[in-house]
Amino acid sequence: MRPTQLLQKGRSAWKGPYFVAFPNLREALTNHVPIKTQARSCTILPNFVGIRFMVHNGKDYVPVNVTQDMVGHKLGEFSHTKKRFTYRATKRS
Amino acid sequence: MVHILGVNLPDNHLARFALTKFYGVGHKTAHRLCARLQVHDKCKVKDLSPFQVTSLASFLSAPASAPPLPRYLVATPSYVPPPPNIPIQTLQAQFNAARIEREKKKLKRGIEAGKGYVDPLKSLKIESELRREIRENIAHQRMIGSYVGKRHAMHLPVRGQNTQSNAKTAKKLNQLDRY
Repeated sequence: MRPTQLLQKGRSAWKGPYFVAFPNLREALTNHVPIKTQARSCTILPNFVGIRFMVHNGKDYVPVNVTQDMVGHKLGEFSHTKKRFTYRATKRS
Repeated sequence: MVHILGVNLPDNHLARFALTKFYGVGHKTAHRLCARLQVHDKCKVKDLSPFQVTSLASFLSAPASAPPLPRYLVATPSYVPPPPNIPIQTLQAQFNAARIEREKKKLKRGIEAGKGYVDPLKSLKIESELRREIRENIAHQRMIGSYVGKRHAMHLPVRGQNTQSNAKTAKKLNQLDRY
């Protein structure tokens, strides 16, 4: 394979996916302790399956249960940063 | 007018442009298809031979299971052409038999058939098959609850485009069951 072909396939082809090494991964899996993280750009690896994450959305930590189908996506994709606009009448004092 | 897989190719169009009428076939793929069927650049749809039309239809109905293209050997200086009164069918049969023989020999030597070069048209997906793939991809995104799936369900752009004004295409197309 030519190196340019490898480069054109994106970063994860030649450098591997970006992920954060969580130190408490095993503990989280056995004790069902959620992992609190701000690493939204961390790729979900196959060994994350079954772990509960609390992913920061800029304001607070949203619970994300990782399933088999989520492998390959990023953690941030499941912690929505925008909420739907709802009109609330202002209270007049 | 030539009908192939429910798509009609206009008679007076060039073949390489008419092929883009298929959903999932662009200019590049059309060019490849033309090369495969030995259709020249200026050939119009009405000039396609019946054999080319049938082989195109049979190829497009199942690109993955199509037989690999034969490799035509270059004639040696000592080659004597067969007399012209032999019909083309027998010549083709002889050629195919010789090809199968060569493949067998290759297998004996331990070389897999078609190894090294993978035909890019093998993975061609057109029309309903491609539509189903797109629909499945959107459904997958929605099922796992990702941002992309959410934006599809809301009929809004997926990749961070502005939505204050336009976003017309997304409002029209981004749906959970697009096709």
